[in-house]
Parts: sequence; C-alpha cells; structure tokens
Amino acid sequence: MFLQLVLSGISQGCIYALFALGMTILYRSTAVLNFAHAKVFMLGAFAVYLLLQVPGMPFVVAAVLAIAAIFVLGMGIERVVMRPIMYGPHIAVAMMTVAVSYLFTGIARFFWGREVYPMPQVFSYPPMQVGGLIITTQDLIIAGITLIFVLAFFILFRFTRFGRIARAVSSSARGAALVGINVKACHSLMWGVSCMLGAVAGILVAPITLLHPDMGDAVLIRAFAAMTLGGFGHFGGAVAGGIAIGVMEQLAGGYLSTALIDIFAFLVVIVFLIARPQGFFGQKEIVRV
Amino acid sequence: MSDRPVSTSEGMVMSSMLWRYVLLIAGLALLLAIPAFTSSYVQFVINLTLVFILVALGFNIVLGYLGQLAFANAAFFGIGAYAVAISMDSLGLPFWLAMLPAAAVGAIVGGLVGLPALRLKGYYLAIVTLVFGELMRWLYIQGGEITRGSLGIGISNPDILGIPLRTDNEKYYFVLITVILTLWLVVNILRSKFGRAWVAIRDNEPAAASLGFSPGLYKVLAFAVSGCIVAIAGGLFALVIGRVSPESFNLHNLLLHFTIVMVGGLGSVTGSVVGAVILTGAPELLRNFPGMEEILFSLILIGVLLFMPGGIYGKLAERWPAMREKLYRG
Repeated sequence: MFLQLVLSGISQGCIYALFALGMTILYRSTAVLNFAHAKVFMLGAFAVYLLLQVPGMPFVVAAVLAIAAIFVLGMGIERVVMRPIMYGPHIAVAMMTVAVSYLFTGIARFFWGREVYPMPQVFSYPPMQVGGLIITTQDLIIAGITLIFVLAFFILFRFTRFGRIARAVSSSARGAALVGINVKACHSLMWGVSCMLGAVAGILVAPITLLHPDMGDAVLIRAFAAMTLGGFGHFGGAVAGGIAIGVMEQLAGGYLSTALIDIFAFLVVIVFLIARPQGFFGQKEIVRV
Repeated sequence: MSDRPVSTSEGMVMSSMLWRYVLLIAGLALLLAIPAFTSSYVQFVINLTLVFILVALGFNIVLGYLGQLAFANAAFFGIGAYAVAISMDSLGLPFWLAMLPAAAVGAIVGGLVGLPALRLKGYYLAIVTLVFGELMRWLYIQGGEITRGSLGIGISNPDILGIPLRTDNEKYYFVLITVILTLWLVVNILRSKFGRAWVAIRDNEPAAASLGFSPGLYKVLAFAVSGCIVAIAGGLFALVIGRVSPESFNLHNLLLHFTIVMVGGLGSVTGSVVGAVILTGAPELLRNFPGMEEILFSLILIGVLLFMPGGIYGKLAERWPAMREKLYRG
C-alpha cells in the first residue's frame, strides 16, 4: 500500500515537476509569473486530441506537432502581448497573463463546450507486476520523459553557451543588453520553452485523465506549491518540490482522507509562504532601497 | 464645507455648492424613479449592476489604491453571500440582521488574508490569495449540512424590519441605499489618512515606511476594508439572485471583477462605477454562447492593458484634469 502510493505519487509528481519547471524557467529569465501556464497545459492536451481525431495521426507524431505548435504559441504570446508592457508595473504584467489565461479558456470552451472528453487509449500494454506493485506503462513513460527533459534542461542551462546567455539575461536584463545580448529574442525563446514544457506535461497526463478547459487549474496550484516548497525560482527545487507534493498528497489521500488530495497543496502553500517563504532551497529575498 | 483657501469669491462657492446639491437631488430622484420604467428582468440586471459597483470598489482598494495583485475577491464575495445565507438558514436571523455578520466576517477574513502581506510581497501575495479562493470553494462544497454542497442555499422571504423584499423593485431600493451609503463611506476612507497611506505604499513602499506608515499594518487594513465591502456586496448578491451556490464564486467569475476594475480605471471610484455600469449586463447577453464571455472580456482586458492602462477614467482625467479624484478633503 505504502509503496504503491509512493509510486503513483511519483508519477503524479513528475507532471507537477515538469509544469513547475516550465514556470520557473520563465520566472527566472523574465521575472514573469505566468498564470496562463495552466491553459498552455490544457491546449497541449487538446491539440493532441484534435490531431488524433481529425487527421487520425499516430500519437507520437501528434504529440511532436502539438509541442511545436505550443512552442510557437508561447513565442507569439511574448511578441504580441507581453513585449509592449515588458517594462510596465509588475501588476499589469501579471494581469496580462491572467487575461491570456481566460482568453485560452474561452477559446477552448467555444470549441468544446462544457463537457469533458476522454482521450482515446494510447498504449494498451498490460500493467506490470513487480513484487506486488502495479506499474502501468503510462507511469513509466511519464517518469522517463520527465527525467529526460529535466536532465536536458540542467545540461542546457549549466553547460552551454545558450544557458550562459539565459542566465545572464535572468540576472540582469540591462547588463545583458549592454554586452550585446538580444534580450527580447531571449525572452521570446524562454516563453516558447516554458510553454513547451507546460504542453509536454499536459500531453503526458492526457491519456490518464479527462480533457476539459479547466483541467490545468488544479495543477497550477500544485505547481505553486512545488515552487514554494522548493524555493521560488530554484530549478532543482521546483522539480523536487513537484515530486514531493505528488507523493505527499497521495499519502495524505491514502491514509487520512481522499478529500485531502484536493486541498493538500493549498495547505502547503499557505503554511510555507507564511512560515518559510524562501522554501527549502531558495535564498531569503533582500530588498535594497 | 471647505477648510482650504479658495480663490473664488464667497458667492461663487455658494452657488457652485447649490448646483452640486441640485444635481445630487436630481440624480437621486432619477435613481429612485428607475423601477417605474423597467421590466422585472431589466430591474434584475440593474440590481446586479449595483452589486458589482461595490464588488469593483472593494477590489479596486486592493488592486488600484494599494497596488497589490490579489485573487481573493471572488472568495470575499462568496464569504459575504454564504454568511448571509447561513445566518438566515442555520441561525434563523432575518435578512437585514444577517447583513451585519456578513460585513464583519468579510472584514475579519479580509484582514486574515492580508496578514501574509506583513512578510510577503508581489507574486507571493497573489499566490496565497489564489489558493485561499480555491480553498473557500472547496469548503462550500464540502461544508455538508451548513453550506449544502454544490446545490447551495436558497434565500427565502427576505425582509427588512418587516418590509418584504420579494420583487426586484423592492430589492432595488434596499440595494440602492446600501450601495450609496457604502460608496460614501469608501470615498471618505480614501480621502482620509488611510487612503493616502495606501497610495503612498503603492507608489513607493520604502518611502512610505520611512514616513512612519507601517506597510504591513496598512496593507492588512486595506484588505480588511476591501473584504468588508466585497462581503457586503456578496450579501446583496445573495438577495438579488435568491440562491447562493459555489459556482458563483469561482475563478471564472473573477474575470468579470478584473475587467470591471481595469476598464473603469485602477485607483478610481468613478472608474469602478462606470466599469460596473458598462460591463455587468454583458454576461447576461452572452449567456447562450459558450466561451464568448471569456473571449470578449479577456480581449477587452488585454486591450485596456496594452492601450489605456488607466482605463476609461484615466483617459477622461487626462483630457479634463478637473475630473481627477482628490485624496484630500475640500
């Protein structure tokens, strides 16, 4: 029972981790907290659904196309609505992402209404039994792909020229611009990358859940919990926090009460933000006048 | 009336004050006469508009005057509505008495939600308030006998001191009087030391702190006032709609609150009134087209953020500086 709960918690937590990683990348590089990330997650899943249904593509092709489309969408958001108010007050910037979030909800609701859609079965291998534990193919795929993306991003940010540019822009946009880095292009790329990670999470979770325009909202709150737990803006913290939230809420649901699954993340956010806002890995914010 | 030196002669002041009173009385007479010319449905929408004036006003205190991004407005709104409904349903209070605990609970919860503001800034506060809103919605659904789950609680036979408030016309007068009194109260709070402190904190927090205004204390106060006003609006909403259920207070409804405040103008009482008058009716018109409400409102919101960050009021005040709202008495 315990191990089974931990296992399904890790699988859930990987989704939260990918989602939170996407938000953290954007937050670190552009200082924008994207409230529309939940909708990008939803649009990724719906794009795959559409490509599977209408032209009848195989799942892998549909997933790759959907991810590419969301990447372009992310760059488009930056170019069309974020860039003009880039240096505006942060409340306007955050509200813009809220507006974009509602816009995507509206578009999804316009086409799909208020019903929920089951994703067609993608992988029909029977679940494996390992020493009393039931492991589904979907769990393995989720964990594997999450691992690949997380590793790829750590390598990308730590060891490549692109990573150095991104870190320079995130530590000081003005300084980066002074040494000749194209800050706008970098921001645009970061929006693309961040939205892409959101879409990947949405596509991974789609086959085991139901599709509806608000499917990302619950994950958004868990991602906030993951980010607070790990320390806001800390990459490793976001991933570790995501998996920790996944495991803990499964355990709370299994041993205490299933109603707790829904609010566990809420409680984590409230307790942590009040008691230890910098999380486990973050640094205390110091404000200079 | 005016304790500041005025450049005009005494007679001019008298006649301009006279004009203000004439306009005020004419406006009040017009507002009182409205139910004579409306159908029941139109009256319902007008009542709703009055409620949303208060919603926008309360939200604007936090968003516009204090300059904090917060998502708790739908939660305050719901708390007010549920406080009225539960006081009537479980405690058996009459409607007009039930409004008092609603306002008090709104103020207390508002202050509690604002408490993290003592330590947290910017996005952290936004996240705490977002989470709080979702937590409240979970409570409404899981509240068992007290909140009656997702079905909600009906408001039966509201009255004020024995005068029934059943038809939309009867409700209108009660809502109108409450809204005008609250509006008057808020305008005066904003012109007092508190309103000025909120604006000072918004514009430059370290500077405000160095002048002796504790940012944490004033933020908590702003949240408490905002929570109280929006909870009063929630109580009126329960009266106007006649039923309180969880889906009236989810994140989806927050879009309307955001749009009203932004279209009218951040940090403007007039703006909130204008925004509510223009926009409250729109969701009623779009009810039969799924998704159109979100698309239309979010496009308006994006347009306002891109092209007129001060909203309608900001544009007007730019053209006619005399319209600018003063934060001092006189």
